[in-house]
Amino acid sequence: MTTIEQEHETAGRTAPDTGPAPRRGRRRGLASTIVWYLTLLVLAAVVLYPLVWLVLATLKPSSEFGRNSGMLPWEPTLDNYARVWDGIAGIPLWRYFLNSLIVASLAVVGTLGSSALAGYAFARVAFKGSGILFAAMIGTLLLPFHVIIIPQYIIFNELDLVDTYVPLLIGKYLGTEAFFVFLMVQFIRNIPRELDEAARIDGAGHPRIFRSIIVPLLRPALVTGGIFSFIWTWNDFLGPLIYLTSPENYTLPVALRLYNDATSTSDHGATVAASLLSLIPVLLFFLIFQRLLIRGVATQGLKG
Amino acid sequence: MKRFKITMAVVASAALLLSGCGGDPAGPRSDFDPNAPVTLDLAFWGNDTRAGFYQSAIAKFNEKYPNITVNSTFLAFPEFWEKRQIEAAGRDLPDVMQFDYAYLRQYSQNRLLLDLKPYLGKYIKTDGFTESTLGIGVVNGVTTALPVGTNAWAMFTNTALLGKSGGTPYAGGTSWDEYATWMGSVTKAGGGAVWGGTDPTGRIQNFEITLRANGKNLFDDAGAPQFTKAELTAFWSGGAQVRGAGATIPTKRLLEVAPKSGFGAGLTASELTWDNFGAGYAGDLGADASGLALAAPPVTKAGAKDLYLKPSMLHAIAANSEHPEAAALLVDFLVNSQEAGEVFGTNRGLPASSTHLAGVKLDPLSQKILDYETSIKDRLGQAPPVPVVGYGSIEEKFRQLGEELGLGTVTVEQAVDQFFSELDTILKK
Repeated sequence: MTTIEQEHETAGRTAPDTGPAPRRGRRRGLASTIVWYLTLLVLAAVVLYPLVWLVLATLKPSSEFGRNSGMLPWEPTLDNYARVWDGIAGIPLWRYFLNSLIVASLAVVGTLGSSALAGYAFARVAFKGSGILFAAMIGTLLLPFHVIIIPQYIIFNELDLVDTYVPLLIGKYLGTEAFFVFLMVQFIRNIPRELDEAARIDGAGHPRIFRSIIVPLLRPALVTGGIFSFIWTWNDFLGPLIYLTSPENYTLPVALRLYNDATSTSDHGATVAASLLSLIPVLLFFLIFQRLLIRGVATQGLKG
Repeated sequence: MKRFKITMAVVASAALLLSGCGGDPAGPRSDFDPNAPVTLDLAFWGNDTRAGFYQSAIAKFNEKYPNITVNSTFLAFPEFWEKRQIEAAGRDLPDVMQFDYAYLRQYSQNRLLLDLKPYLGKYIKTDGFTESTLGIGVVNGVTTALPVGTNAWAMFTNTALLGKSGGTPYAGGTSWDEYATWMGSVTKAGGGAVWGGTDPTGRIQNFEITLRANGKNLFDDAGAPQFTKAELTAFWSGGAQVRGAGATIPTKRLLEVAPKSGFGAGLTASELTWDNFGAGYAGDLGADASGLALAAPPVTKAGAKDLYLKPSMLHAIAANSEHPEAAALLVDFLVNSQEAGEVFGTNRGLPASSTHLAGVKLDPLSQKILDYETSIKDRLGQAPPVPVVGYGSIEEKFRQLGEELGLGTVTVEQAVDQFFSELDTILKK
C-alpha cells in the first residue's frame, strides 16, 4: 500500500513543476544546480558501488578473491560464466532457473487468486464469524515460521509429497498468505460500495461482481502483490531446502549454495557470477510489472 | 545469516524433543535377499567435484549390486545439517549419510543412527581398519558410524611465499616461543606485505593440544570441561604477547579477506589447521600445491602425545532405514572398496581403511599428507571422546572471541568470562 501512496505523492509533486518552476530555477543560478546534481551523483555512486563491484567481481578468477578487494579485476576472465553455465553435478544451470521460474510463477498465480477471493469475502460478504476469522488470519502473521516447520514437514512427509513442489505451493493456493489477503481486503474496502450495489441492481451475484467490478479495480493491488510474491518466492531458501531432495529439483537459491562448500574448495568466482545471473529475472519481472503498477494507479481515477 | 543460525538452533532443539523416542532395531534379518530390488537414499555434503565422484562410485557399486538403486542428494555443509535436523524430527533420515564428527553424539544419543555392531564383519568388512580408527565412531559403547578418512592437526607453510619474501622455512615441532620468533622474522622480512602467521590462540584446537600435552582433553567422557579459567587466561594472555610483538597478521587485515583465511589469501606464510585443508588452500591461492609444505605443530611438552587422528568424515546408517542390510553393503563399498578409493582419491580425507587406501592414487599433496601423518606417529595419542553436543558452537565462540581479542574489543578476562558462560549455556541444554 505504501508504494502506491508514494507513487501518488511523487506524481502529484512532479506534475506542477513543469509549470512556473523553470524560471525561478534559472534565477537561483547555475551554481546551486551543479551542487545539487553533484550531490545526487555522489549519492548514486554510493548506492551503486556494491552492485558495480559485484558485476566486475564476476570477471575475477577465483584466486583473486580475498587478495584483490578493489573493483577492477587484475586478470579479467569469463571463465566464471563458463563454469556456471556448465552447472553442477551434470545438471545445467538453466534447469535451476526453470525450476525457480516454475515455482515463482505458480506461486504468483496461486497467491493472487486465492488472496483476492479471500479478500473479497472478508471485505464484502457478511458471514458468520468473519470477524474472528479475520483476526485469526492476521494472527498467523505473528506466528514464526520456525514453529510450524517441523509439524508441516511431518504432514507432507506422511502424504509422500516431499521432493515435489506441492508443499511449497499448496498453501499459496489456499489463501494462507495473510499479508496478501490483508492487502486485498484493505484495497477492496476502499472501492466504493455503490459500484457493487449498481451491479447488484443489474442482477449480478457475488461471482459476477467479483469478476466484473472488483478484479479490474483491484489491478494495482494485484500487481503489487504479484511483484512481492514473485520476489519472495524467487529468493526463498528455507522452503525449497527442506522439501526438495533431488538435486535436479533444486531451485536457484539452493543451487547457488552448492558453489560454496567450506569443507572443500569454494568457487567464489562462480558464486558471484551465478548470483548476478540469478538477479536478472527478478529485475526483469520488476521492470515489466512496475510499469503496469504505475499505469494502474494513473488510470484508476475513481478514488480521488 | 544470523536468521539462518537462529532457525537452525530452534529447529535443532525441536528436533531433539521430537526424536527422543524410537525403538531399538533388531539387527540384520536372517531372510535378507541380496538380489531383491531395493531403493536407498544417500545424502552427502560437498561441491560439484564430490558430487561427480559419488555418481561414478554409485555406478561402480551398481555393477556389483544392480538390484540396489541409489538416489543421492547433496548440499553444502550448513544446509545439509539443517535439512537432517528436520528429517530427524520426522524420522525420515536418508538410509546412508555422510556424517560429521561434531553431530555424531547428538544423533547417536537420540537413537537416530543404526547400531552397526551386528553388521560388522558380515556386511561391512573391518579388516582394513585399525582398532583405534574403528573406535572413532563409538558413542556410549555403540558403533554408530565408520570413519571414511582421517586427518590430524598440522602446520601448513607456504614455501613459495617464503622464498619470494626472503623468509626461512619453518622446521616444525619447535616450542611455541620459537614458533613466535620464527613468525616475527618472516614478518620482518616480508616488509609489511607478508606475515609469519596467524595468532594461534584464536583456534580451540591449539588450546586443545596444549591441554593434551598435560594429559587432559577439552571435555571428558561425560562431557564436562577439563580446563579451568586460569588455564584459558594463561593461553590467551600468551596470544596477546605474540600479537603485541607484531609477529602475526593484524585481525583487521584478516577480516578484509574473509571468507578466505590469511594463508589462503597469500598474506601469511604459515597456518595451523587440519591437514586436509591443502587442496582448499591451493584453490584459494590459485597456485599448484607444490608451494605448500606440512610441518609438525609446535610442541608444548617434549614427548607428549598431544596430537590425534580425527575422522574427516564418517558414514552412518539411519535407524529408520527400511533396508539396513542393503545400506550396510553400500557403506561397506564406500568406506572399504578399492574401487571407491580409485574414484574419490583423498577428496574425503586420507582413507581410514587400508583396503580403501590401496585404490587411491596419491597426488603429490596427498602424498605429503600421508608422509606428514607418518612423521608424527610418535605424537599421536588416543582420540578424545566424541565431541559434546553443541561442540560446533563452542568452537565458533572460541574463534569469535579470538577475533575480538585480536581487535582489542575485549580484555582477556572478559573473553574468558564470556567463553565460560557460553559453555555453561550450551552444555546445560
